[in-house]
Amino acid sequence: MKSFVATARYEFTMQWRKRSVWIVTGVLALLLVAIGAGQLTYVFDASDTKTAMARAALLLQLLLPVGYGSLLADRLVRDRQIRIAEVLDATPADATARLAGKYAGSCAATAVPILVLYLVVGVAYGIAEGDWAAAGWVFAIFVVITLPGLAFVGAAALAFPLVMPTPLFRVLFVGYWFWGNAVTPAAMPTTAQTLLAPEGAYGLRQFFGYDEEIMRPRGDLFNVLRPEVSATTAVLSIALLAVLSVLLLAGANAVQSRSTR
Amino acid sequence: MLTPPSVLVLGMIAAAAQFGAGENDASIARTLIGVLEMLLPLAAGGGAASLIGHDPVAELVASCPTGYPVTLVRRLIVSLTWITVLAVLASTALIATGWWDRWPAAHAPLPGQLTWLSPVLFLAALGFLAGAVLRSPGTAAGIVAVVWLTQQVLNSLMQSSPAARMLNLFVTTRGMPADWTVNRLVLLGGAVVLFLFAWLVLTRSEATYSGEGS
Repeated sequence: MKSFVATARYEFTMQWRKRSVWIVTGVLALLLVAIGAGQLTYVFDASDTKTAMARAALLLQLLLPVGYGSLLADRLVRDRQIRIAEVLDATPADATARLAGKYAGSCAATAVPILVLYLVVGVAYGIAEGDWAAAGWVFAIFVVITLPGLAFVGAAALAFPLVMPTPLFRVLFVGYWFWGNAVTPAAMPTTAQTLLAPEGAYGLRQFFGYDEEIMRPRGDLFNVLRPEVSATTAVLSIALLAVLSVLLLAGANAVQSRSTR
Repeated sequence: MLTPPSVLVLGMIAAAAQFGAGENDASIARTLIGVLEMLLPLAAGGGAASLIGHDPVAELVASCPTGYPVTLVRRLIVSLTWITVLAVLASTALIATGWWDRWPAAHAPLPGQLTWLSPVLFLAALGFLAGAVLRSPGTAAGIVAVVWLTQQVLNSLMQSSPAARMLNLFVTTRGMPADWTVNRLVLLGGAVVLFLFAWLVLTRSEATYSGEGS
């Protein structure tokens, strides 16, 4: 536990101080203002504050995790690149605890700018519409919907670069993210709007009033992962993302252990 | 070097899956041309973003007769040449097999090469500039990724603005055909401007020799 806390604290501080963590989110915010201003109408036209924040969250959730994954992709391979992995392995600190600490610390620090951007959107809505509940809903959506998605992305970003070059992972991840979350099922078979989509399709609809139906094109093989939206399926979706995250980290741990031997 | 052929193979698999599912020819042709217009530029941008920021012996490189900025430009040229070879081979195969013409918005084979060339150079120049300014491959690649994905997700909004349409990277497969030539030339011009900025940064900054604290 001590190793986990120490590693998490160190990784958090190290990542938190990197200006790059803020730059990627800042660039996205500028792009949203420059070309996505029209999307504000879609957010503000929602029937209530909760739905408006769910719409805003889905838009941000579709865009922000690619920068998040890209920033985290070198966290685990870095120890070998700068040749400190052997030194760390020689310490009494347990390798699994160090991996968990690195995951928790670096993922948490990289998520902070995303939370800040969410809150800026909530406050802007509160000022415009006079309903300050928006900030509360944004925070709730971040915890219930965004964090499980980011946990999955963070685990993938730490694990996959152990078995493929980091630049290749970054490109494949962006391609996956677009295909698996942003492409509508009507366009082509995709994992978007399924229980496995890190965009949080089920949670947003069940808990936060996101008001667009799940698409189930006839004959789509992914329809088996698109049951009716309910509290059970929404919780199941979040649980599946958590399980996938744990499996990815377990895989990363196994790869690291094998390379240490 | 592994990324461009990997995305080509993935694109071909997606098109094969569409073929197997009985989708129409135009839809499959759009995916095939989309590999050239969308995935290769993403690979080019990600690759260019990774060229700077992690040289373990940068000080030694700095003492060589060939300047570090020249070395970085040579790396960029090698990376872009590899992508060009793959793109020409892939587009030739599409033209020879007739799939090129099955996408209604495709252009004649020769000018049609701007389908991939313009976005490849634009995103490569953007990644190169971001790498030069930030000296962090992760951040530079993140910026390329965010620009690429924003254009995908907000594509319909970009169509409604004449200025944004000029910078649309995916005008062949997701844009307005009337703007095609101007759009491709604007992207090429933008690539030149971004590259010149990158060169200015590389030749004037001592910090180029070391990446951001990783």
